[in-house]
Amino acid sequence: MDRKNRAKLITASAVIAMASLVLSAIPAQAREVGVSATEIKFGMTVPMTGSASLGYNKIPGAVKAYFDYLNENGGVNGRNLKLVVKDDRYVPMEAISKTLELILKDKVMALLAPLGTSNNIAIASSVNPGRRGIPVLFVNTGFSGFANQKKYPTTYAILPSYIMEAKIMGAYIKENFAGKKLGLLYQDDDFGSDALAGFKQAGIEFAVKVPYASGSQGTATAPGWITKLQAGGAEVVVLFGVTTASIFALSVAAALKFAPQWILGSVGGDATTIKLAGVPAGILFNAVGSSFAPATTDTTDEYVKLFSEIYAKAVPGSAFDNNVMVGMNTAFITAQAVKAAGANPTRKSLMAAINAKGANFASAGLVPLNFSSTSRVGYNGFWFGKYSSAGDLKPVDGKYVVYTTDSGAGAVVKSTYKRPAMPAKGLPN
Amino acid sequence: MHKVKSSSHLRTFIFIGFILFLISNRVDELRVYQGIQVAVYVVGISSLILLTGYSGQVSLGHGALLAIGGYSAAVAKNIYQIPTPLTFVVAVLITAFAGAILGIAAARLSGPYLAGTTLTLAIAIPSIANQFKVFGGEQGLLFDVGFPPLSLGEDFTQYKWFFWIAAACALISTWFVKNILGSRYGRTWRAIRSNDVAAELSGISIARSKILAFTISAGVAGLAGALLAMSISTVSPSAFPLALSFSLLTGAVLSGLSTLSGVIIGSVILVAIPELADVVAHRIGSSEAVVTNLPGFMVSALLILTILLAPNGPVEQMRAHKAHKAHKT
Repeated sequence: MDRKNRAKLITASAVIAMASLVLSAIPAQAREVGVSATEIKFGMTVPMTGSASLGYNKIPGAVKAYFDYLNENGGVNGRNLKLVVKDDRYVPMEAISKTLELILKDKVMALLAPLGTSNNIAIASSVNPGRRGIPVLFVNTGFSGFANQKKYPTTYAILPSYIMEAKIMGAYIKENFAGKKLGLLYQDDDFGSDALAGFKQAGIEFAVKVPYASGSQGTATAPGWITKLQAGGAEVVVLFGVTTASIFALSVAAALKFAPQWILGSVGGDATTIKLAGVPAGILFNAVGSSFAPATTDTTDEYVKLFSEIYAKAVPGSAFDNNVMVGMNTAFITAQAVKAAGANPTRKSLMAAINAKGANFASAGLVPLNFSSTSRVGYNGFWFGKYSSAGDLKPVDGKYVVYTTDSGAGAVVKSTYKRPAMPAKGLPN
Repeated sequence: MHKVKSSSHLRTFIFIGFILFLISNRVDELRVYQGIQVAVYVVGISSLILLTGYSGQVSLGHGALLAIGGYSAAVAKNIYQIPTPLTFVVAVLITAFAGAILGIAAARLSGPYLAGTTLTLAIAIPSIANQFKVFGGEQGLLFDVGFPPLSLGEDFTQYKWFFWIAAACALISTWFVKNILGSRYGRTWRAIRSNDVAAELSGISIARSKILAFTISAGVAGLAGALLAMSISTVSPSAFPLALSFSLLTGAVLSGLSTLSGVIIGSVILVAIPELADVVAHRIGSSEAVVTNLPGFMVSALLILTILLAPNGPVEQMRAHKAHKAHKT
């Protein structure tokens, strides 16, 4: 081989070697599943049809409304956020098949706000997003178990747990209704047993306790509940159940002229569902309720003002309620997580961003977020208010007094948390 | 003669099993999971066809029997530490026992009264499960049948393992049901369904036959429940809603209530419709309301069309059509 040919051979070899290096580097730069140059996909399973869909079926529309607003304003690092929604009819078998569709067919980057305790447990056990490294962001349930990082390594809770709620409610009762005879109407399952555990920790003794079986609430059973509460002489009644139980309990109590001070849990005090069920929201009048988000009628709140404007434009004619508020807030927090995950977000960097910066994300919540590398707990508190005759929950004397605690043996404290100002235009900064 | 037919059935089922094995190696995880769902429905619907189609006893609450099977398997596994394969046997036996008790009551009822009783059961069973700590309340119980054997390779997924178990169970149970329907018991049930007075005059004990039908049907439904629990790795009250009972009944009508051969048709339709509806709705760019309600609409429309055009199911309809053609020529 002469020198000229040898030089050609060396040059060709160098080019091939360089090309190989470049080509081999391509997979390393390949984008994460669900992330393209222009879009990031999230997937949500939620009951859109069936008896459990009432009220909850507004959540996807709320998330989409915020994502659309965000996308119109440039998205996150030039990418639009997209939500793929699947109807699971609140059935675990459906939830699993829809989650698999989201992961394998729609190829979403992360699951967002899947709804329901048993559905989330089924998804975690069967599909096992934890083993697949798929983030499950902000599950829509108050079951405290989802904060267990070892069991659910990629799952992030956001709602305060039912135990937290009962503990905080207990502290509120002690402060405001000391010496009154207390009654408790509760759902006799894990939901209710979490409540009993929380009240026990808070040192609350009920003079009369009325359990009801999940699904048994109706016109046939409600008179029995009310008669027992009445016979027990309850002056203050805590209702720790679902909204349909509230509907029957409050309606029958009114008919039987039983008028204690009602205190409703956050699940059972959903005025929208009550209205959608065809019952006047007035049955809630003067009952005490709790929330971690600002009152949806409080238009002086910058988040309520912005979110309600965005929602009115996106879904005209649909009422801006707590489900919408929580949905849009979840979308807003998700956008910040994506932003914090860097220019080319991956599933790992998304979770790392929430672990590192999640506690400082801006949010509409009047309660702090508690994310860290060792905590998957989102909000950990509530404020209390009273329902107006229109069914709107408003803080007593117009002032939000926030209580926080944990799902363990921690004390209930009045929070000094000052919510940071909303970023400009409600967009992640 | 009967033996020859039975062994030919067996060969057919083994052949179908081989085909399913080949398919499971070529499709993605989602299709494999859908295959599990189809297998669960095949077992559940065949038990309903046995009860309603053959013995003439209407059940609107078959989901309750699946719930008993699912919970039995999970309790056997979690509390009594029974080996996994035996949990399926336990599910079948306990549900069959529950079916026998129900059958005693059912033997005294018929028509709308029986339908009402079974419907009540479908509503009550999940609520009862919610009342006892042993059943794990609203969260339910985990039912983990374990990872596939290592000998199947590292790439062998959990769902493929579930599919193999579910498909094997579906084939065995369908083979069993097909044979029992072809036996003298099947003929007895058909006689009762057609005319119970005539059957009784022929020396058939109506009550005993009905109880037997309920017992066997419940045992098969229990197997379906255990398979359902395996596929979702949990049992909880919400896993067995009233809608499940209606789905099974819909599947049975679509399959043809009086013939087992169409059972796969009803099962595939139940699993495929939601996805098909999703594709159709997105192709035509429908609104959210259409997307969410289209599956229900499509199933309802199919149900009405089946009742109008093929009341005995598509397979029976094709057979009748062929027979009619052959008769003409």
